Amino acid sequence: MVSRPGGEMASRPLHFIFLCDGSGSMSIGGKIEALNAAIREAIPKMQEVAKENVHAQIWVRAIKFADRAEWHIGAPVKVEDFSWTDLTADGLTALGSALELAAEQLRVAVMPERGLPPVLVLITDGEPTDDFRKGLRRLFAEPWGKRAVRVAIAIGEEARMSVLEDFIADPEIKPLLAKNADQLHGYIRWASTVVLRAASSPPSVPRKEASAGGPATHLPIVAPVTPAAPSAADEVW
Amino acid sequence: MQYILTNVATVTGESSGESYRVGRLLGGGGQGEVYIASGGGQELALKWYFPESATPAQRHALEKLVELPPPSPRFLWPSELATAGGVRSFGYLMPLRPERFKSLFDLMKRRIEPTFRTLLTAGLALADSYWQLHAKGLCYCDISFGNVFFDPANGDVLICDNDNVSIDRKSDGRVPGTPRFMAPEVVLGEPPSSDSDRFSLAVLLFYMLHVHHPLEGAKEHAIHCLDMPALRKLFGEEPIFIFDPENAANRPVAGDQDNAEIYWKIYPRSLRELFTRVFTRGLRDPRDGRVRETEWRDELVRVRDGIFYCANCRGENFYQPEALASLGPHGQLCWSCGKALRLPLRLRYEDNKVSNVVMLNHDTRLFAHHLVGGRQRFDFGAPLAEVTRHPADASRWGLKNLSTVPWYFTPRESDTTVEVLPGRAASLLDGARIAFGPVVGEVRA
Repeated sequence: MVSRPGGEMASRPLHFIFLCDGSGSMSIGGKIEALNAAIREAIPKMQEVAKENVHAQIWVRAIKFADRAEWHIGAPVKVEDFSWTDLTADGLTALGSALELAAEQLRVAVMPERGLPPVLVLITDGEPTDDFRKGLRRLFAEPWGKRAVRVAIAIGEEARMSVLEDFIADPEIKPLLAKNADQLHGYIRWASTVVLRAASSPPSVPRKEASAGGPATHLPIVAPVTPAAPSAADEVW
Repeated sequence: MQYILTNVATVTGESSGESYRVGRLLGGGGQGEVYIASGGGQELALKWYFPESATPAQRHALEKLVELPPPSPRFLWPSELATAGGVRSFGYLMPLRPERFKSLFDLMKRRIEPTFRTLLTAGLALADSYWQLHAKGLCYCDISFGNVFFDPANGDVLICDNDNVSIDRKSDGRVPGTPRFMAPEVVLGEPPSSDSDRFSLAVLLFYMLHVHHPLEGAKEHAIHCLDMPALRKLFGEEPIFIFDPENAANRPVAGDQDNAEIYWKIYPRSLRELFTRVFTRGLRDPRDGRVRETEWRDELVRVRDGIFYCANCRGENFYQPEALASLGPHGQLCWSCGKALRLPLRLRYEDNKVSNVVMLNHDTRLFAHHLVGGRQRFDFGAPLAEVTRHPADASRWGLKNLSTVPWYFTPRESDTTVEVLPGRAASLLDGARIAFGPVVGEVRA
């Protein structure tokens, strides 16, 4: 029997970028180890999302920021082939540079002609030590940066939530505060699955979220599951 | 790893009081997660809502749904609500989906390669299923890739995620639907209804048969970043059918949107006309412009009956009466190898004053909706006839009686009628008539 003609359904690329804090404070209390473990565990879930997503080809990479920002995983990797290389922590919190680095790769000249909104997931435990505003301006100056779905996860109470809110720049989406390793796992899994799914093929959403305040300009993303109350041992960072 | 029911060992069925052990996670979606649950000597699926989705409105809707019987066995219908001690939120139990059923994601990604016949059988079963749901005064509200499964071997279908089903025209809009499948009026803020279900069904059928969306042409191609405002414009504010006969502004773009063009040419005109109606007039006229499920059912059966094989490459082709009329018996070319096609023998019969034609291929089987007439239910599990070879002479073909009643066979221009008992076969001779009961068929070469 001759197979039916044609190819697989047309889809668009979606770039997913982790922006990970690798500053010295992340080495305290096992934070960087928890971050590495959480991203590792999220990968198979991202791959499941990709399998059920016919509208997107998902590409993943990661930026580390400490004394300076650098590509931890520079060349975009198809999510099906993505694996995580552990981060180490040392130095300052050059978040502004990290945003500039991301913006550089979101330039129209660099991005594909057609795509889905990129997803930027920022994970940090502190406050920027460089010119964060400059980095943010640079990011928002890029059409793909402005249209990106941006979520942020604060590790512990030390993180400056107002900075994360400015990064997200959408009153409907709040930064998440992970107080322990379990919560960090839950939030990274949420960012890697629910947010990824929403950006690539928006899910069914409750009406009030879809149409609040006229035309929806932001992606309707169901808030993450709040992990169960932690045990005392999990509170130690 | 954190799941909602990570630390929950059992849940309790609210009406049965039965305790169900929570097993492995099967999958997650926007509203919650699905687990295996075992109890009362059976394995079931358990959907558990994220706290944000576990609203009183959702609970109320489920309480009503579990009281209703499933519209057909193809619906994996909620059987009862479930709760767990000390856990916010709730869930419901439903039958498990057997492994042989695959998702439409697999179809779109070409991870499975069913035949045209299987796809049309699945489409017909879907149209029939939603018709049964609508006939009970309900609407589904979220027909899309994620909640339909089918068996690529035979076209059986299952419909999942029935927790969004509402009373028609009284939907509370808990879930307006999935972008790309939502009717334009729903994208613009109207609540879903059986009318919008009919739009979503048409999108689903178009996707299945073309591996492409009916509104994604040049307009979609021109958009750089396909974000929510872009989706709203394409599917809500300014939708244009890619094959709108009166508006060529949104044709598929060669190179990037080839599937639509490839398939559109293969199907019979009658099927293309239904898609054209629902995606032109039906975009603006939800009530009367949309193709009804029974129309899809009749058309998909007709197209399925019109499948025949290219003698050269064995590719499935479709009987196109208009091509036969304009181009002659060998004027239609195979879409696969380009060679002229030769029509096989055909059975022509009348039912309800409608003339029908079934191609008689080496593997054709006929069912109650063909031979019994009077709008029998579609049951592809119980054939009443099949094309067969003569046991002693492979060049002779016959139609074998698999039913329990005799048929009556009359050769062309003959007064002699021969009884064809169950288990026997009638020769397929040009002009012969076979009385199957109330339905009488004529073999045509």
